[in-house]
Amino acid sequence: MQKEAAIREPLILGDKSYKDITDDVVGPIEGAAPKAWKLLITITSIIAIYGVGCITYLIATGIGVWGLNKTVGWAWDITNFVWWVGIGHAGTLISAVLLLFRQKWRMAINRSAEAMTIFAVIMAAVFPGIHMGRIWVSYWVLPLPNQFGSLWVNFNSPLLWDVFAISTYFSVSLVFWYIGLVPDFATIRDRMVKPLPKKIYSLLSFGWSGRAKNWTRFEEVSLVLAGIATPLVFSVHSIVSMDFATSVIPGWHTTIFPPYFVSGAVFSGFAMVLTLLLIMRKTMNLENYIHVRHVEYMNIVIIVTGSIVGVAYLTELFISWYSGVEYESYAFINRFSGPYSWAYWIMMTCNVITPQLFWVRKIRRNLIATFVLSIIVNIGMWFERYVIIVTSIHRDYDPSSWGEFHATFIDLGIFIGTIGIFGTLFLLFARFFPVLALNELKSILKSSGENYKKLHHKDH
Amino acid sequence: MGNTKRYWSGLEELKETNDYKTTLENEFPEEQTVDAFLADEKLKDVNTGRRDFLKFMGFSITAATLAACETPVVKSIPYVNKPEEITPGVANYYASTYYDGNDYANVLIKTREGRPIFIKPNRAAGATGELNPRINSSVLGLYDAARVQGPSKKGAAIDWATADAEIMKALEQAQNPVILSNTIVSPSKQRAIDAFKAKYNAGHVQYDSISYSSLREAHKSLMGKAIIPSYHFDKAKVLVSIAADFQGSWLQSNVFGADFAKTRVPEGKWMSKHFQFESNLSLSGSNADVRTMIKPSQEGKVAAAIYSALTGGGATSIEGVNNKAIQSAASALKAAAGESIVIAGSNDVNVQRIVAEINKTLNNYGKTINTDNPLNLFQGNDTTFAGLVDGMKNGAVDFLIIDGVNPSYSYVDGAAFDAGLAKVKTSVATSLYADETASKATYITPDHHALESWNDLALTDKKVDLVQPTISPLFNSRAAGESFLKWTGIETDYYTYLRQTYNPAYTAANMYSDAAWNEAVQNGFMSTGVQVVVDTTEDSVESIEEMMPTGGLTLSAALSSVKAVKGGQMELAIYQKVGMGDGSQAGNPWLHELPDPVTKVCWDNYVTMARVDMEAMGLEMEVTQNVHPNVVNVTVNGKVVSLPAFMQPGQTPGTIGIALGYGRGANGENIGKAAFQTKENGSHMTTEDGSLIPIGENAAPLASMKSGAIVYAAYEVNVEATEATYALAATQMHHTYMGRESVVKETTFGAFKAEAGKKKGEASWNKAHALAVHEDINGDGVINAQDKKQIKEIDLWKEHPVENVGHRWGMTIDLTACTGCGSCVTACHIENNVPVVGKDEVLRHRDMHWMRIDRFYSSDWSLEKGEEEGVGTIESYGRMEHPSDAPQTVHMPMMCQHCNHAPCETVCPVAATTHSNEGLNQMTYNRCIGTRYCANNCPYKVRRFNWFNYQGYKKFQNTNPSQDSLARMVLNPDVTVRARGVMEKCSMCVQRIQGGKLEAKVAGTPVQDGAIQTACAEACSLGAITFGDLNDTKSLVQTISQNNRAYHALEEVGVQPNIYYMAKVRNSEENEA
Repeated sequence: MQKEAAIREPLILGDKSYKDITDDVVGPIEGAAPKAWKLLITITSIIAIYGVGCITYLIATGIGVWGLNKTVGWAWDITNFVWWVGIGHAGTLISAVLLLFRQKWRMAINRSAEAMTIFAVIMAAVFPGIHMGRIWVSYWVLPLPNQFGSLWVNFNSPLLWDVFAISTYFSVSLVFWYIGLVPDFATIRDRMVKPLPKKIYSLLSFGWSGRAKNWTRFEEVSLVLAGIATPLVFSVHSIVSMDFATSVIPGWHTTIFPPYFVSGAVFSGFAMVLTLLLIMRKTMNLENYIHVRHVEYMNIVIIVTGSIVGVAYLTELFISWYSGVEYESYAFINRFSGPYSWAYWIMMTCNVITPQLFWVRKIRRNLIATFVLSIIVNIGMWFERYVIIVTSIHRDYDPSSWGEFHATFIDLGIFIGTIGIFGTLFLLFARFFPVLALNELKSILKSSGENYKKLHHKDH
Repeated sequence: MGNTKRYWSGLEELKETNDYKTTLENEFPEEQTVDAFLADEKLKDVNTGRRDFLKFMGFSITAATLAACETPVVKSIPYVNKPEEITPGVANYYASTYYDGNDYANVLIKTREGRPIFIKPNRAAGATGELNPRINSSVLGLYDAARVQGPSKKGAAIDWATADAEIMKALEQAQNPVILSNTIVSPSKQRAIDAFKAKYNAGHVQYDSISYSSLREAHKSLMGKAIIPSYHFDKAKVLVSIAADFQGSWLQSNVFGADFAKTRVPEGKWMSKHFQFESNLSLSGSNADVRTMIKPSQEGKVAAAIYSALTGGGATSIEGVNNKAIQSAASALKAAAGESIVIAGSNDVNVQRIVAEINKTLNNYGKTINTDNPLNLFQGNDTTFAGLVDGMKNGAVDFLIIDGVNPSYSYVDGAAFDAGLAKVKTSVATSLYADETASKATYITPDHHALESWNDLALTDKKVDLVQPTISPLFNSRAAGESFLKWTGIETDYYTYLRQTYNPAYTAANMYSDAAWNEAVQNGFMSTGVQVVVDTTEDSVESIEEMMPTGGLTLSAALSSVKAVKGGQMELAIYQKVGMGDGSQAGNPWLHELPDPVTKVCWDNYVTMARVDMEAMGLEMEVTQNVHPNVVNVTVNGKVVSLPAFMQPGQTPGTIGIALGYGRGANGENIGKAAFQTKENGSHMTTEDGSLIPIGENAAPLASMKSGAIVYAAYEVNVEATEATYALAATQMHHTYMGRESVVKETTFGAFKAEAGKKKGEASWNKAHALAVHEDINGDGVINAQDKKQIKEIDLWKEHPVENVGHRWGMTIDLTACTGCGSCVTACHIENNVPVVGKDEVLRHRDMHWMRIDRFYSSDWSLEKGEEEGVGTIESYGRMEHPSDAPQTVHMPMMCQHCNHAPCETVCPVAATTHSNEGLNQMTYNRCIGTRYCANNCPYKVRRFNWFNYQGYKKFQNTNPSQDSLARMVLNPDVTVRARGVMEKCSMCVQRIQGGKLEAKVAGTPVQDGAIQTACAEACSLGAITFGDLNDTKSLVQTISQNNRAYHALEEVGVQPNIYYMAKVRNSEENEA
């Protein structure tokens, strides 16, 4: 069995047995829904329904219900898309990259982070769909044989790469997440006494029997999927960034975008994981599994990626001046001093300045401070995309077409709505799915459980 | 042998077995009757199983359901007898003439399947066929459901017989009948009016919505003839215009603009120099070489100063005016005596008298100004009309026919006219609309629309143009001329009467046999020198002479009069917008949506103000989507109008400008849906009592009366700020080109001449872009910043051959020639079924124009100046956003550049926008899914997205013609009406290109240069736009594109457009003015 140094902080606090873990994770699924959950899901559902209403209105009436215009053809739609895709990245990074690096601390958070990824990618996928003028022919972006004879998609277009990137990402993430869930579903199945849920969970668990053969295959598949998913962490957001980087628009046409977008994505993803987990650990009594050590690790990821993002911002500014290109340099001068400079400075503050507070150990181990900062980071990252998209196209080459963008209530409604849908999905997940990878956690109980550590210590 | 040969189908037949015989007999077995079938005992043993029952039921229900689904019935009625000249799908063109009392042009009317859908200029030799937006947009008026649809009495419909009987009865009893009409330039109509006058001893007063009476009066004083001479702007080497917008609205602006453009060719032997003295920045002022800001009260003083300088009277200085400009104008005029023109826009007879004297002094009469062939336009006289109003008011006029005019709206004292009209016992209006005047008349006997009627028009006495109908009258209307005949008791129809004007022996029998007439109809005009056989025009001219005051205005009186003019603190100059003109087409959404060439504001009128004045009053100077200007109250002689204040660079401080033509339908008169303000949801705005709110306010009442003439200015104006704001929708929000010289290239004539011989790409004013590359280009062994490669040679893509392979359609646009008049914008709008989106959408920056004209003002600041003065780059950019208070202006038509390496094409995921092998960037609407990436990636921002279903969504119910079952008849069937959610943009009129290619194919010849014209190139009367095949080495467009002024806008982006711009050349020195 693996050993862990005694001076390392334990990953599972308290005197937990295997049964305790099972009880802690499966207990809430078996019991009645707590009031807080009912209240929360009511709120999120109402927001979700409002969002769906706005989307219906948009599709029924036309893209004109948004604030877009002849100069600014994308604004909140693509901002939201990139924002949600970025958020998704943390889940994949945690489950795939940290798995490959054998980071045990990921086990407490990977399940919900992956769930967050799935839901965030679903939310992200909403926007490229609804931002189309004619969503009813959106399937034309797929390279399907069609009634137009040899008419094929345009493989030069980054939007097409997007289609492939997002669909691959979604399917791999979904499979990865589900494979991990199988043994845990089986645990629930085994404990469940009510016949219908038992039947459902037994279906979901694919006949898992817990034999050594099952476990070997599970481990192998997880490793293979981790291998497949790891490049996706880097490719997906690189491709998303090419939606901008391959254009001719100053402020979009930037070769720094792929690494810059990927680190930004991880940055915002970890912030979102923190936001969700800090609420979840409290409401679902998981303080022993998700505690300050996990939070601190994630905060370290945030400070690293946040600093990369900060360097990228400064590099962009430097290159815009160094290039000597009139349009390029104006685009960036306009970013920080033009009509949308407020957005730029919100972005700078939230993404570059405030995360630096995590250098202070006290702050990065303070849960409330972390919660506040995680929200600030996500606000900042939303503005980052807004700044890139809107301020670049609202004043590009031809000054006669320079314009403005003003969001409408529908813009706002759909964005808030996706948060509502996301929240609803996540709450449903928390209610009916094992929120921790309980079987994986059990594998580290003896090496990293607080009590076991103490026992080991006494042994020696 | 052959006879015995027998064919058989089987052995049975050959052997003729019994079985075969029975089968043969029963080949058509007798049908069993239903009764017999039902009576069959065996039937009882047959049972229908459950499954069969369900099958039958399923089938029956499906069949019944399918039968119930009826596809909508589209009534398509074929011709019983197909007219010989109509081939479905092929357009017919008819020569005609446009005249509305204000604008005049020879035109060609395009009809498709019997519907007139497009008006284009008639450029046949001898025609005067230049258009402006008002003329080509007038075709929509034909299909206006708001037109009066039949004769009516006090609003109630009656039939023609009753109307005629009642009117004639009233005429019998009338003591003093008067005809009030616009200027009648039709010899036949004049003849009918004369017959009417003779029978009833009636008076005839002509009234123009825009008065030019002083121009005639000045010439009467000068030369004894009350004429408006013909001007030959194409011969003017020096042009001085004192507040006359001769390119936008003054007199025959469509012709003058076109003629003057011929003098604006830098490569020519000479280039004219244009001085403009004015207070509002007019279209002409924006194109002037030297523009000087004056106040309206100083117009006469400027004229006097020029006269004084010319005649050696010494320099007179005018306070607050750049007197140097006056002196340089005078010396330029002196140098170009006999080859210059001086004009004034004022209707103050004193100003016109001095200007006439200046032209006489310069010996321009007989050279650039022709008095032998005067214009018949604008014969109205303000004094006479004022007399008529007085007569009406004191009850002297008891019968009034109002023909083609709307004085209740357009007269300076419309209220007085209304008061008079109320006293007239019987009044008859022949108007097309129940407008401000007609709605108050006893009878409305609607005239035909011009596209439904025959007429003859004589612009001058030497030429007669014909108007021919292109469609049967849509409504129960009757030509006004015919009404006059009817009421006179002449039972001839107007067409016959018209023919008899030229051939008294004409009868219906020889309708088609007059070869000269047939030719005239085909050409749209009679050959020069045609004699009006039954002449009447002589009389009418005489009658004008009689109406004129003595005409004894001496020069010295005029000079001392202008000297005595006292200006005010704040003065007002009333002008006409290019789109709205006198307001007669206030219900035309195309014209409302046409951005004003100078302000770029659509759908409204406003008060133009100088920056300093607005700052002093604390008014909002920005106009954006959510920053709305303040409303100001403008008071003149107790009359108040409340309009938003608009910051106008180039406006003389201490002056304001307001456009005529707005505020139509103030009492809810039915003049068309688009004439009224709409809410955000598309329904009409209403006041509390439910009446509609007109767009803008009428400025006509603010004009002043000066020595009996209406002067479109006021010298004592009070402008008062209010708390209220009012949104103005402008298509362009940024006004300078931020020093981006690769967008706009401009130079002075002197600089141009200095390097005129240089090769393309080498002159300092049009240097080709090159980029430093990491290669040893110049071969000096070192790689450094001197190693530059031409943009053309740097490419990401493999070269796809475009040169010398088939056609490559391209265009050149000459910025020197373009005045920004907007004819191309409306022509494109009409040709390509471009949706009208209304004010709220324009405000949201979503105008749909495929063709737009960017207007850039110069700024007082630049990055270089910033460097010199130690101002930082960021601050400098901030300052460069602000236009100069006395700006130079550039008008730059902008549409899809049809890039050979188009950035839009690579980013479309579904390949909906692709490159044709003829160089066109083409848009496949059916394939478009509407991601809008193409629009984002367009450096020129020319792509337009269908944000809504403009043809059906309620927001556009009152603005978009395609939502009206009648108005949609104007749509061009050759061009798809785009669905919601797809991108659209200039197609270079691909339908015309295809049509032209087909014609050439049928003719068996290659496409001839010039045979295909895009709508914009065709509409441009200035020769600014040339379209053609760049691969045709002899084509005009190819020649021009090789000129050393030709450049690609934003060349360094490397998109390699097929549109070339020609650098703008001003005939002025740096900082002159």
